[in-house]
Amino acid sequence: MTLSIQPDDTRSDPLLRVRDLTVAFDTDQGAVRAVDRVSFDLMPGETLGLVGESGCGKTVTSLALLGLIPSPPGRLLSGSIRLDGRELVGLPERDYRHLRGKAISMIFQEPMTALNPVLSIATQMTDVIVRHQGLSRRQARARAVEMLALVGIPSPEKRIDDYPHQMSGGMRQRVMIAMALSCEPKLLLADEPTTALDVTTQAQVLDEMARLQERFGTAMILVTHDLGVVAEVCRRAVVMYAGRVVEEGPVSCLFSRPRHPYTEGLLAAIPRIREEKLPELPTIPGSVPDLRHLPPGCRFADRCPRADARCREQEPELELRGDIAVACHHPNSHAECSR
Amino acid sequence: MNEVRERTSLWAKAWYKFRRDRVGMAALGVVLVYLLVALGVWLGLWGQGWSQVDGPMWAPPGPDHWLGTNIIGQDIFERAVYSTRTAFEVGLVVAVLSTLLGGVLGALAGYFSNRWTDELILWLMGVLDAMPFFLFVAALAYALQGNPYAMHIAMIATFWTTTARLVRGEVIKLKNLEFVEAARAIGLPRRLIIFRHILPNTFHILLVQATIVFVSAIKSEVILSFLGLGVTDGVSWGLMIAESTQEVQAGHFSNFITASTFLFVLVMAFNLFADALQDALDPKQVSA
Amino acid sequence: MSEPLLRVERLSKYFPVRGGLFRRARGWLKAVDEVSFEVPRGHTFGLVGESGCGKSTLGRAILRLHEPTAGRVVLDGMDITALDPKALTAARRHMQIVFQDPYASLSPRRTVLQTLLEPMEVHRLGTPRSRRDKVVELLDIVGLGPEVLHRYPHEFSGGQRQRIGIARALTLEPKFIVADEAVSALDVSVQSQVLNLISRLQRELGISFLFISHDLAVVQHISHRVGVMYLGRLVEVAPAEDLYRDPRHPYTRALLSAVPVPEPGRRRRRIVLQGEVPSPLHPPSGCPFHTRCPEAEPECARIRPGLEPVHDGGAPHLVACLHR
Repeated sequence: MTLSIQPDDTRSDPLLRVRDLTVAFDTDQGAVRAVDRVSFDLMPGETLGLVGESGCGKTVTSLALLGLIPSPPGRLLSGSIRLDGRELVGLPERDYRHLRGKAISMIFQEPMTALNPVLSIATQMTDVIVRHQGLSRRQARARAVEMLALVGIPSPEKRIDDYPHQMSGGMRQRVMIAMALSCEPKLLLADEPTTALDVTTQAQVLDEMARLQERFGTAMILVTHDLGVVAEVCRRAVVMYAGRVVEEGPVSCLFSRPRHPYTEGLLAAIPRIREEKLPELPTIPGSVPDLRHLPPGCRFADRCPRADARCREQEPELELRGDIAVACHHPNSHAECSR
Repeated sequence: MNEVRERTSLWAKAWYKFRRDRVGMAALGVVLVYLLVALGVWLGLWGQGWSQVDGPMWAPPGPDHWLGTNIIGQDIFERAVYSTRTAFEVGLVVAVLSTLLGGVLGALAGYFSNRWTDELILWLMGVLDAMPFFLFVAALAYALQGNPYAMHIAMIATFWTTTARLVRGEVIKLKNLEFVEAARAIGLPRRLIIFRHILPNTFHILLVQATIVFVSAIKSEVILSFLGLGVTDGVSWGLMIAESTQEVQAGHFSNFITASTFLFVLVMAFNLFADALQDALDPKQVSA
Repeated sequence: MSEPLLRVERLSKYFPVRGGLFRRARGWLKAVDEVSFEVPRGHTFGLVGESGCGKSTLGRAILRLHEPTAGRVVLDGMDITALDPKALTAARRHMQIVFQDPYASLSPRRTVLQTLLEPMEVHRLGTPRSRRDKVVELLDIVGLGPEVLHRYPHEFSGGQRQRIGIARALTLEPKFIVADEAVSALDVSVQSQVLNLISRLQRELGISFLFISHDLAVVQHISHRVGVMYLGRLVEVAPAEDLYRDPRHPYTRALLSAVPVPEPGRRRRRIVLQGEVPSPLHPPSGCPFHTRCPEAEPECARIRPGLEPVHDGGAPHLVACLHR
């Protein structure tokens, strides 16, 4: 049972409304809840960061939104996903296929494996456009070239006939972005889109994505472990830990005044370029719990400096405090964010 | 800081997975029954009367001869039981030795890929694969002048190539992994790198290949015996089937049916067992 | 001035590009091209650069895991590059490596005990009894208890495996360790633990590190001196504080400006580089960076700049740029 989270902007309805999403995977040792009662909202045109470390469930959440949970061994146990008011949970595969690429698009982390190595870029892009927009091959190709130019690929009318291996990592990722946006989806899911790229390329690609988003009005969910990227690109962020949402709110508040001890610890542990070098980096002791053997109570308790008996017995629920939602029995109290 | 995920070794994990595969377990059961029969023959407990001529020719199944007798008057049941030992002997010897040979040569070829060791081994594999199997066996049988192991040697000499090819591919992948570089950084001599670090990571391939070769060996023996190139100092299902071709024409089927059934059941069970084994060893598959 | 622990002199590693029917060498991929630097005792030299710049190849070439094509590596006065195979094996005691991928760097079918005993067995150090004691001691240094001895790598998390990898590198008590993206594959919360461990090891055991990473913030934290690589060459070398405070090479400046900072709302002037990294098979003429450099002039295409000091006094700050 969670309190509903009010979006910042109460003027319009959220584009995406996720409530109590729960996904389980069958393993040799029983069912594991990779995502456990996750809820959040996304406004049209907004960029939301889905942040966390390995095993927190962020990738599974994004796959669930697209209906791409591999089943077996995965199962969407419960919850609701509403896109523009339409319920996606339980949608037949046939209908989901209409949505994918058109209303919701996804970009993956490894552009080399996400693109088919034996098909040319032209083929892959025109396939998507023809399928969803009903254009002829020729018109689709023209549109594809347009998109490639938009993402900053030089000589797009020539490069469109290249194969993925003929392009660099940064270029391939741009092609993925072009493909994902070619049908002007309402929602773009980007799963670690720049993690495999160099820093300089990453900066360029993030810029492209922001520009295109503005142009097409696409909302984006950016799944990443890199808080620096979130700070640059996202307006709001959802912090996940071991399958649960622990904190959620505007990035400007989240980073300067984190409420949850995990968020706080994470921000402190990130090495940053500083004026004065620290003799030692602050750390979070221990490591992420094994989802197959979760302790009762708060999942972060065994690593938390503030954990007490109540924390170890009772799992905290997500509660709204001002414009930040926190799931903690002893959150930091800060003044509310002024926006 | 010292929480550990699981306390089971990789083999134990595979065993747990295998145990839940009912078909695989049943198949293993059947194979074990056959194995016990073969052991009994070897230990002299039963099947010793396979060559005795102690009955009328073509006796029907009855209390004296459970499955009847063949054209000479030998007990079909005794012969079928004895053949189980032959089958296992051929199967095990060929499976173990060809897998060993294939594993070692494959590992050497893979580690030294694109150098002359690899070229040499690949060339050898190519030559052996190009030769028609049965001609090779015939030639070898002739060259070895009636050595009872001519058939075994011929099979080992040809069956190792598939294993070697698979192992070579896996070793090429493995040798670029960092734990191999780490071994080099420590100064570990090459032979230890290959045999201590790389080869053990191909055991899952070797095990599955061994089971496949076991079955192939038994089936090949049937055809070889049919051609008169097979078992010479004993009896096997293949020999029984070969003998029975004339009997069948005269309307006596017991020999043929017995031998074929014994053969079919073992091969089927072993195949099912091998499939289940492969599934259990596959780390990506989760059992139901 | 005392002799540095490690001196790398004009080290090069070229890979032949083969083609044609007989796989003749048709050209050369210059992965590492005449790199020189020094690492004093008990110091960490950070090596940064983007993918394909040759930093991993350099690390391995120093250890002769790749055979250098040219140049010299002198470790504690001993010329590593001139050693014959037997002497090289003995010299490996003094130089070790920690890898990036915790999932591939430990032999899957060997227990922790076997993995940690192996280096001592190869070099015939100690007795079976003393070796075992040493293993327990090493595990303690990296923060693991003796209960892990008989377990297999798959039973551990990434951070734990990385610790075991560090323990393995420490077994022979080396003077020098190459850390090749040693923390890049770890979660942030674990990364900081391992970085602190490495700092502590340096302070307490006096080991010199070559810390290779693409993460500029991590490198700044852990290094005394930093070198920036581009297309196989060092383009800037300076003490860590100087490099980050006053970067002189246009590539270094672009690199630093591109690093995303977890501080929302902080406006940064990002230097955008044109084009893509050239292929190391066909490096540009003159300065390798001139094709993308926002400050390039015509002469940059003709003259190849060497590493030259920027100012006198203090630790040298070297830059390979005509307009430093």
